[in-house]
Amino acid sequence: MAPVSKRDKKEEEEGGNIFQNLDKTSVLQDARTFNDTPVNPRKCTPILTKILYLLNQGEQLGTTEATEAFFAMTKLFQSKNAVLRRMVYLGIKELSTLAEDVIIVTSSLTKDMTGKEDLYRAAAIRALCSITDATMLQTIERYMKQAIVDKNPSVASAALVSSLHMSKTAGDVVKRWVNEAQEAINSDNVMVQYHALGLLYHIRKTDRLAVNKLVAKLTRMNLKSPFAVCMLIRIACKQLEKDGGDYADSPLFDFVESCLRHKSETVTYEAAAALVNLRNTTARQVAPAVSVLQLFCSSSKPVLRFAAVRTLNKVATTHPPVVTSCNFDLENLITDSNRSIATLAITTLLKTGAESAVDRLMKQIASFVSEISDEFKIVVVQAIRALCLKFPRKHSTLMTFLSAMLRDEGGLEYKASIADTIITIIEDNPEAKEIGLAHLCEFIEDCEHVSLAVRILHLLGKEGPKTIQPSRYIRFIYNRVILEIAVIRAAAVSALAQFGALCPDLLPNILVLLARCQMDTDDEVRDRATYYYHLLKLQEKGLIFNYIVDPMQVCLVSLEKSLAQQVHDKVPTKFDLKSVPPAPVVSTTEDTAKETIPEGSISSAPNRIVPVQSTVSSYAEKLQGVPGLQSIPGTLFHVSEPIELTESETEYVVTCTKLTYPHHLVLQFECKNTLSDQLLENVRVQIEASEGYRIVKEIPIPKLPYNETHCAYVVLQFPEQLSLTVTNFGATLRFIVKDCDPSTGIPDADDGYDDDYMLEDVEISISDQIEKVSMDREAFDRAWEAASDEDFTESEDTFNLPGMSGLEQAVTKVVKFLALEPTGLTKVSERSSFTLCLPGMFRGGVEVLIRAKLAVANNGVSMQFTVRSAHSDIAELICAAVG
Amino acid sequence: MVGLNNSGKSTIVSLLKSDGDRNSEIVPTIGLNIEHFRYQQVLFTMFDMSGQGKNRYLWERYYKNCDGIIFVIDSSDRLRLAVAKEELNLLLQHPDISGRKVPILFLANKMDVREALSSVKIANAFGLEKIKDKPWHIFATSALTGEGLQNGIEWFTEQLSQSDLNN
Repeated sequence: MAPVSKRDKKEEEEGGNIFQNLDKTSVLQDARTFNDTPVNPRKCTPILTKILYLLNQGEQLGTTEATEAFFAMTKLFQSKNAVLRRMVYLGIKELSTLAEDVIIVTSSLTKDMTGKEDLYRAAAIRALCSITDATMLQTIERYMKQAIVDKNPSVASAALVSSLHMSKTAGDVVKRWVNEAQEAINSDNVMVQYHALGLLYHIRKTDRLAVNKLVAKLTRMNLKSPFAVCMLIRIACKQLEKDGGDYADSPLFDFVESCLRHKSETVTYEAAAALVNLRNTTARQVAPAVSVLQLFCSSSKPVLRFAAVRTLNKVATTHPPVVTSCNFDLENLITDSNRSIATLAITTLLKTGAESAVDRLMKQIASFVSEISDEFKIVVVQAIRALCLKFPRKHSTLMTFLSAMLRDEGGLEYKASIADTIITIIEDNPEAKEIGLAHLCEFIEDCEHVSLAVRILHLLGKEGPKTIQPSRYIRFIYNRVILEIAVIRAAAVSALAQFGALCPDLLPNILVLLARCQMDTDDEVRDRATYYYHLLKLQEKGLIFNYIVDPMQVCLVSLEKSLAQQVHDKVPTKFDLKSVPPAPVVSTTEDTAKETIPEGSISSAPNRIVPVQSTVSSYAEKLQGVPGLQSIPGTLFHVSEPIELTESETEYVVTCTKLTYPHHLVLQFECKNTLSDQLLENVRVQIEASEGYRIVKEIPIPKLPYNETHCAYVVLQFPEQLSLTVTNFGATLRFIVKDCDPSTGIPDADDGYDDDYMLEDVEISISDQIEKVSMDREAFDRAWEAASDEDFTESEDTFNLPGMSGLEQAVTKVVKFLALEPTGLTKVSERSSFTLCLPGMFRGGVEVLIRAKLAVANNGVSMQFTVRSAHSDIAELICAAVG
Repeated sequence: MVGLNNSGKSTIVSLLKSDGDRNSEIVPTIGLNIEHFRYQQVLFTMFDMSGQGKNRYLWERYYKNCDGIIFVIDSSDRLRLAVAKEELNLLLQHPDISGRKVPILFLANKMDVREALSSVKIANAFGLEKIKDKPWHIFATSALTGEGLQNGIEWFTEQLSQSDLNN
């Protein structure tokens, strides 16, 4: 039996991919065959294929290896075999970035691209552009221009697309080909026309006026190519979004709408999708697009049905009533043989449907949820999440469904989205909390994703102690300590400590468990166990509260730096934790901002907001590099948003960023010179400091050439008297002008003349002196209560906010004014009164708690504003500043 | 085929290609051109290398597998004779060339130009008599008229077929 099974195995291996077991070294060895004369195309073509296969599998080639293979490959130009030649072009493209001296084939490729053999020409252009850099482009410019207007469509398309690629590295050269591109746009070939439009738009996209002209011209021209029309629709929509405002009488909008009646389905779909994705459209403007999509829903082509239902799914979040009209068509799609279409149809219906339909639809999904891919399962999960928020009463049905999904196989992203949904439901709906936590407990019993398990343990630690029967969670958590890897064990220990801190009757048991954890094999787990064990044993409320329930949140990067500084300086003073700026607050609004990025954007990369790790620490680092600024005592505490002190299109552009230290204020003026015929020297901003402020230092910019941006600084000391800190400074930009030659930037004469330029006033507000602190509502309440006695002072005032249309507006205004992070801000608009809680940290590390009770009054909103702080002046100052 | 830029390499190649495939317009070569053609019953695969200063270091990449070398000299460019000689020396000393009996054909091109040096003078200036281990010959040619080219190539083919027989 044995030999038979062995052969079976071997056959299996051979039956699959013949390239599977390729070895780089032996393939490169084989590549030496390229040097043989005469060239044998039969032998060389497969070897070249193998090299390409290896490269595409991610095999790394060293420079020498790549260069050797590349030069061997150049020998293959001898052969006139068309198949081999095409492989050579592909080889050149792949190796162009790896090998050296790739320009060696420039002449060979130009010959092919201008030659008679049409089979070679297009591919030769693409290969040529891949080996040509900005400096070499000029030498082939003439050929490229000819190729763009070539009669052969494949040649013209290749040239156009290659130009588009080249414009990344040599934009200026490619810009000169605009006339040729314009000619190509008149081509009869659909692809050439499309590619020509692509290039033209790319060349002009930074110039809004030019784009407007282009679009206006082309919309009248009646383009033949449906692809070009689709592109035009996208450009038009981008322009519409940029222009903003009303679309009612915009010719661009009319054009997009007219495309709904185009004879090509691709164009009709594109126009419909574009219309529904446009922001700020009215329901009436979207209606015709939706009816087109509705028509597609009953199309016989699956791809059209899919596109339509996918788009409707998106619209359902922005214009639910419009989609309701398609409900009938969507119902029919639920049983579609294509599962992707069915999923999207159901989730769309869930978004738009009534509460009564939920149970029926959920049953439908359950019947095939195991058949669809993770990606679509996530779509389902998100729909359920929205549903839970909409119909809180349905949570038990939905939660059961989610937990069933949680038990199924699935990737991290899928599981994470389910866990997220359950967590959201728990947070939003107190009734669902116990059930949700139970489901999550069950899930971590058998969870292969470490990051998820850690998150859930953290959540259990936070929420578990507040339930009616906290003890039931202990078993689940302690099981993790026994069964899991170190990271999860550590998280479980922290969660246990939370129970110990918040449930006094469980404390003895927790102490026993923590004592056991001190025997752990891992350092981190042991450290945590020991730390919590001793803290809990002391049974001191203040300590437990500050170090377990609501531990300090400082910016870790700054903390590390401050500690290193402390050790380095060997200062005898004690390290003061309050000198470290608090952790940056990750704003929750970012999530919503992300979702509004339009789907049909032309540039492939959406400008996603990357959460900055910490503005404060990056600024602190930057300031360390500025001579004269290192001597400021203390660490950087707060960084304001940059403020423009000039109009944006003036001769000099100045923006000011306010940097707050415990006792000093640094004003950073970012200056830009937009005059090509001027060189500015000794550029500084003169500040008229108000009473109490003292200018410590001014750091000018020695030289500011055209189109460069540099920073000047002014260092001020805060007044002793806090009430003087909120003020305005007059500011003037002063500098020496030297006229110079615009092309070279060299000044005409050695001596210049003094000049100045008025800037807007610099406003120093209360928000520059407070840093936001992240706290949840309960932590705030506890802190608020704790602050009622002790050495805190309270300052209170009542204000009337006239001209406010609603609570939401008032809340936004107050939050914006103080630039703080509100806690527990949900569903403001539905209530008639609202309590806004704003925790913060005043410079110098003084804790500030602000509570604002807002209520709708007859003509506006009234606000009772209370500040509690350990420092009476600060409390008064904040109160006064609001008025 | 090697030689300084503007010595007439690509022009000579286009003349040798007897089919109607001639390039009407010769532009400076970047990198190389590979031509495959039949000249008087002999199949040639010619690697026409770029002569520009910055590309000359690429010649050596193709030394290893060549059967013969054609070195083209612009005989009217007295100034750069020294440069050409230097390049020739580098070529002769290259490990892929020095030990092999590769025939070298020197073409003193542009003889039609009035101030052109004669082939004898160039041979002396280059010290060609010192090349003992390789067959070589120098011909005065004009790539515009084709004069002298035929003689040169005939000698070259003879040498190549001899070395083929020896192997």
